Amino acid sequence: MKRATRDLCLFSLAALIIMLVLLFTLDSANLRVVTGVYMWIGLALSWNIIGGYTGYLSFGHAAFFGIGAYTTAILVTVAGWPFPLAVLTGGVAAGVLAALIGGPTLRLAGAYFAIGTWAVALCMLQLANILDITGGAYGISLPSLYSDTVFYLLMFALAWLVFFFTWHYIEHGSFGRKLEALRENELAAEMLGINTNRQKLLAFIVSAVFPGLIGGVYAGWIVFIEPNAVFGSNINDPMILMTILGGAGTVMGPVIAAVVLYLLNRILWINWSADTAYLIFLGFLTCVVVLYAPNGLVGTFKAWLANRRRSLPDTQDDEEAS
Amino acid sequence: MDLLLQTLVNGILIGGVYLIITLGFNLAFGVLGVIDFAVGEWVMLGGFTGYWLNHYLGLDPLLFLPVTFVVFVIVGALVYPMLARLLKGRQHARLLMVFVFTFGLSTLLKGGALTAWGFNQRAMDSFFSARSVELAGVYMPQIRLVAFFFGVLITVAVAWMLYRTRFGLSVRAVAQDEGKARLMGVNTNRVAALVYALYAGLTGMAGVLIGVIYTVTPQMGVQYTIFAFFIAVLAGLGYVPGVLLAALLLGLIQAFVAVYIGSAYSLLIVFLSLYLILLVAPRGILNRGRA
Repeated sequence: MKRATRDLCLFSLAALIIMLVLLFTLDSANLRVVTGVYMWIGLALSWNIIGGYTGYLSFGHAAFFGIGAYTTAILVTVAGWPFPLAVLTGGVAAGVLAALIGGPTLRLAGAYFAIGTWAVALCMLQLANILDITGGAYGISLPSLYSDTVFYLLMFALAWLVFFFTWHYIEHGSFGRKLEALRENELAAEMLGINTNRQKLLAFIVSAVFPGLIGGVYAGWIVFIEPNAVFGSNINDPMILMTILGGAGTVMGPVIAAVVLYLLNRILWINWSADTAYLIFLGFLTCVVVLYAPNGLVGTFKAWLANRRRSLPDTQDDEEAS
Repeated sequence: MDLLLQTLVNGILIGGVYLIITLGFNLAFGVLGVIDFAVGEWVMLGGFTGYWLNHYLGLDPLLFLPVTFVVFVIVGALVYPMLARLLKGRQHARLLMVFVFTFGLSTLLKGGALTAWGFNQRAMDSFFSARSVELAGVYMPQIRLVAFFFGVLITVAVAWMLYRTRFGLSVRAVAQDEGKARLMGVNTNRVAALVYALYAGLTGMAGVLIGVIYTVTPQMGVQYTIFAFFIAVLAGLGYVPGVLLAALLLGLIQAFVAVYIGSAYSLLIVFLSLYLILLVAPRGILNRGRA
């Protein structure tokens, strides 16, 4: 067995054990907190595919989360579809939206891409506020379909799916190599025969489908959605900040940051009912990390390790030479 | 006909306030190459500065415009060294990192304001607030007229500074070619710091005006960030004269959509046109900005 595959199996097994232990030991309130942790792991890892590995900072990923949530909610309440099918359709809807806007938007570079995607997400937010089918600002209430345990397992499965994809196809696959090549130098990547437009678009679509699915499950879990709750900055911003804090373009960075920051959010909320203070922490940490460790915590740690490994034989060579 | 004229005037008047925000914003982009995500939060904090001074001292909020300007010039001068550190770094995609930094800063400022002051809207009244002028059947609130003329005044002052002073010459030189400007003996770091401080000061002042015309709330920032982006992109990023046209256009779009289509669509149309302009004309409608 290859080392990467072995590590993936070991990590998945450990995650599965932790998940089961938590499932049987936690009360229902804490179980919901952990469900939220899985959700944010999934979202941060999805954003990481386009924002971290491909280097295109999407500031509008809430558009995909929201379209998944609304598609699911409308199909379940209006059309009476079964929940799993509605969630899958939500994922498809997110993918289609990404495919439609991806082509033109991915031609924009740097901050222009960020502004463009942000404008798209704000358009979706306004549309959800205006349209009749979305219930406008009043939102949509869904029937309570399953128990919290089912949603706990569903969120875990989705988070694991994104993790598996990132690990297998990106961190240790040729797809990820292509993305990293085009992130470092798009022209050079093209000279190597990589169809950069196609790869960028694929990465964008994949990183949109997962939030679409997660949004659908979220709608069924929370039972009530309104425009600001699924398209707003409380979904949009943490995805970006978690990934950058943990380390954009690493697998473990977004996972660690999502766990720590979402738990911090819940602690602030439960003890002081202050979820606005969470924004202070997020913003402050982002400023500090961008200033002093621009590769994020895991990225900086990896660079430090690599540097140390490299510097040891180097010093010996120097001594021999002198 | 009256309605049309009234809508036109409403649009132009509010466009004058947007002018103040974007003038500095676009100038800062031209000199530093930085797109400041926190622009709306400077507007918000400026509004609150005016509000609290008015609340505790009881004087007309418009009298605090110079104070707010000075306060935010100092804030800008304090923030600038961090931007400079990022801009001089060697890491990959520096400008993008600055953008992320200002995004973090805006999250920090918004979170801080929300935690300190809550979600409530607060209103402040000026001497001009409840009065209006009627001219040829067109009704103009005095406060909007004052804000508009203040915007025009600021524009003239900035234009004078840019085209008639030695400092303005060095600002334009740095915007055109930083390396060559430095070879000519321009202290580029000082110019950039002053421009950023000036931008923060102008934006803070705009916040006071917006706060008097509407209300202040910690959540108001995002809207003005997107407005600033809209105007700057429409004008062509870094192309300062284009701002005149673009700010008025935004005011007119808002006024006309609100009257003839419905105010619910106003933001949707602004966001949609921002997106389309980025795709179709990334150098602005006058094709003079940087892509």
